[in-house]
Amino acid sequence: MTELNVRKTQDEALDRIREQLLKLGNLAQDAIRKAVWALEKQDETLSREVLEGDDVLDALASEIEEGCLLFTARFQPVAQDLRTISAINRMAIDLERIGDLGVSIAKITRFFFGKTLIKPLIDIPRMAAIVEEMIDGTLRAFINRDVEEAKRVCAMDDMLDDLDRQIFNELLLLMIENPRVIEQATQLVLVSRALERAGDHTTNLAEKTIYMVTGKHVKASDFRRKREE
Amino acid sequence: MSRMKFQISNLNLYYGPTQALKDVSIDLPESSVTAFIGPSGCGKSTFLRCLNRMNDFIPRCRVDGRVLLDGTDIYAPGTDVISLRRRVGMVFQKPNPFPTSIFDNVAYGPRLHGVTDRSTLEGIVRQSLEGAALWDEVRDKLSSPALSLSGGQQQRLCIARAIAVQPEVLLMDEPTSALDPMSTARIEELVRELKTKYTVIIVTHNMQQAARISDLTAFFLLGEMVEAGPTQDIFTSPADRRTEDYITGRFG
Repeated sequence: MTELNVRKTQDEALDRIREQLLKLGNLAQDAIRKAVWALEKQDETLSREVLEGDDVLDALASEIEEGCLLFTARFQPVAQDLRTISAINRMAIDLERIGDLGVSIAKITRFFFGKTLIKPLIDIPRMAAIVEEMIDGTLRAFINRDVEEAKRVCAMDDMLDDLDRQIFNELLLLMIENPRVIEQATQLVLVSRALERAGDHTTNLAEKTIYMVTGKHVKASDFRRKREE
Repeated sequence: MSRMKFQISNLNLYYGPTQALKDVSIDLPESSVTAFIGPSGCGKSTFLRCLNRMNDFIPRCRVDGRVLLDGTDIYAPGTDVISLRRRVGMVFQKPNPFPTSIFDNVAYGPRLHGVTDRSTLEGIVRQSLEGAALWDEVRDKLSSPALSLSGGQQQRLCIARAIAVQPEVLLMDEPTSALDPMSTARIEELVRELKTKYTVIIVTHNMQQAARISDLTAFFLLGEMVEAGPTQDIFTSPADRRTEDYITGRFG
């Protein structure tokens, strides 16, 4: 058989969309990281960067969606190609949402400027670091087609849930002790909740990656700690 | 699961010393569309022709294995091949109408099987042309030469001719490869309708066509049937690497 690469154009087009998805992943990570830093350091510039960066992120997500449509129309993908393009399409939506959660945090941040924090932030930055690591993990799993890595990402979501609950309980105690902190504490609860939701979106990314590789629809909860009801 | 129309087991076919089909086993359900896909020379058309013994015409062609049609082996000695081909009709890649009128093309089969009554023939011709979605276009010119029709119309005429003898199975060997997209779409739509009455088995090089119209897909490679299953599975998650490579255009 002659080695004419008839798939050259198609492979290049798919690579381009893949790269765009990675870029979107990095932007979503940046949004979360910067927003939480802005909160921690009370850095107004950083917070504004997140808000302004959202347009870039949205535009890239639309570009990916458009690219997926065009790819489907031009190459009518099947099998692995079809699963890949479908996974990318869905993953772009989740990454865009993660970016939006970064924006939500950045908006909350503005409330804290010029105020003394009711407590030093420890667990919220930890959550942000976990989210960032999870996104890293899914992007790696996506590129390397690594199902095990994707499962590990799903399992990490347990840590986020634990921290979210811990933060909530802690802040609740503070509020009971001193009603004057309620306003700040409520905002911090929202930040924690946003990070917890970013984690959920990341497990979606992992699920889609597993589908792309195996063709099987899985639930992230299958790879997480079993919960006693 | 619906009833099996064809049950084929361990079918081998040789053209002289060359083995063209290797140990093919597959069941084809009734009232469904099965598509055979695979690169040129993979044996899919050869296999299709085994189902109504069209390979009998090829010198030095030898077949072993079992092909059961409704439970009866069509290769058993004493099989009435003419009656087999009436039950298992065929439509070819290129429309091949006879150089006669539209009417006579469709009436050919029934006449061959002894129908002489004019009004009976007229009824059959009309029904067959309706069945092939051609009636409205030719009702006023049934005595015109079949060759005056467009390619797409000619192919539908061939389908009408095939169904005029009321077959149980329709074999189609790349029936749309010589047609424009519109005619192709019409034939595809027709195939979907035909399957309510007939078992349709289609060979196609057009993968999207297989994905669109078939219930089952079988992938052939180098004389072997690599994989067969629900079309949806074959086109979203094929089990065999070779199927994956073929349908995604990595080889073939």
